[in-house]
Amino acid sequence: MPRLALLPSFAAVLLLLTAACTDATPRHGVAIEPALPRPSFTLTDTRGLPYDFAKETGGRLTFLFFGYTNCPDVCPVHVANVAAVLRTLPFEDQQKTRFVFVTADPARDSLPALRRWLDQFDTAFVGLRGDDADVARIMSAIGLPPAMRAAPDSAGRYEVGHPATVLVFTADDSAHVLYPFGTRQLDWAEDIPHLLQVRGKGGR
Amino acid sequence: MQWWCSASGKPWTWEPQYYPGVWLMVALLAVTFHTLSRRSRALGASRAAYWGGWTAVGLVWQVLDWPLGPLAAGYLASAHAVQFVALALVAPPLLLLATRQALAAAMPTRGPGRQLLHLVTQPIIAGVLFNLVAIGTHVPAVVDGLMPSQVGAFVIDTLWLVGGLVLWWPIIVAVPARAWFSVPVRMLYLFLSTLVHTGIAMVMLVRAFPMYGIYELAPPWPVWSPLEDQHLAGGVMELAGAAVIFGIITVMFFRWSGGVAGDVPPSAPRRD
Repeated sequence: MPRLALLPSFAAVLLLLTAACTDATPRHGVAIEPALPRPSFTLTDTRGLPYDFAKETGGRLTFLFFGYTNCPDVCPVHVANVAAVLRTLPFEDQQKTRFVFVTADPARDSLPALRRWLDQFDTAFVGLRGDDADVARIMSAIGLPPAMRAAPDSAGRYEVGHPATVLVFTADDSAHVLYPFGTRQLDWAEDIPHLLQVRGKGGR
Repeated sequence: MQWWCSASGKPWTWEPQYYPGVWLMVALLAVTFHTLSRRSRALGASRAAYWGGWTAVGLVWQVLDWPLGPLAAGYLASAHAVQFVALALVAPPLLLLATRQALAAAMPTRGPGRQLLHLVTQPIIAGVLFNLVAIGTHVPAVVDGLMPSQVGAFVIDTLWLVGGLVLWWPIIVAVPARAWFSVPVRMLYLFLSTLVHTGIAMVMLVRAFPMYGIYELAPPWPVWSPLEDQHLAGGVMELAGAAVIFGIITVMFFRWSGGVAGDVPPSAPRRD
């Protein structure tokens, strides 16, 4: 076979590889089938103002996480890992993202406490608080199990069981993937550029 | 029962933990050292070397037991780097310096034991073995795979100590004696043998994201982030490792250039 005849196949392979490197499909996380639409809810942000989630985050790459500030392990690690990777993005890409943390422990997580805790990771992260029933309703609407408060110890301290997953909504206002605990910074660093490439509903 | 420090995934607590496996290993090390160092003292080992050896036993205990042991096993890469430097680069030369006369006298003169020791203490083989241990025990998949189990963590800690003893044997015990392994060659051997761990330290220093899942996903340490911790670990390996190695190379150089023939024990029989 003449070598020139191999050129079209070689070019096709190259094109496929290029497409694989630039597509919007994340490499990590767990796929959500069918995709979850961006939920619509309003809670109170750390400034004490109503925060309309769908309106404030619509069309942006949004990380949604339910946790609590007294969490000893999962919450700080998950939030810190996303924050560490977002810091490495170019400024214009950082502007296209939102990280929203909804407390699953409103009894202890006052708005200032929520703000202080989030500021350890990124001052731009949004903290939201509502009452237990509101938060449970939102979690149920997006298919997450409700947070469960464990029995307090002798000192009155308690832990809260909550989903250890970060839901990621892309510019098309859908979540196609969720990231369980165990997602590494390197995983986020590989996936976030792909997630940023998802086009919005208007093709933007 | 928790007998050895391993990555537990539980939040760190300052409540002391007990590790019987560590105590047993340190007790065995202490008994062996006591026996060998007494014989060495009778054969002319110095008092400083003797106390240096006990310092090494204490150091091994401190880096394996609570709090440094569990911190290194599951929370801080920097603590793990301190363990590496202590177990592989600091304790072995001190232990060998205090016991080299007894070790030289106890060398088997024939049989498979002699052949094995002759092979393992060949400088090139010893250097390669040490570097294989250094590389193998720093591969992220190996660390993440072994450190959550007590047996795995025990294997890594033990490999470092044994690897260190193998590395330092040809320089300090120097039995079987090898005519070509002169002091300048020993300095070169030491320098070359530690290039790999310097390379590992550099990788830790320049990586943009944490390399080891057990430290990245561990319950957070309040003072620094996993990446800062990894950079600190690289710095410890680089600086403390270099201080030990170049410190000893410097001493060897001045003793050699000053004509002090004290680096080969007088009782060491010439075998080849």
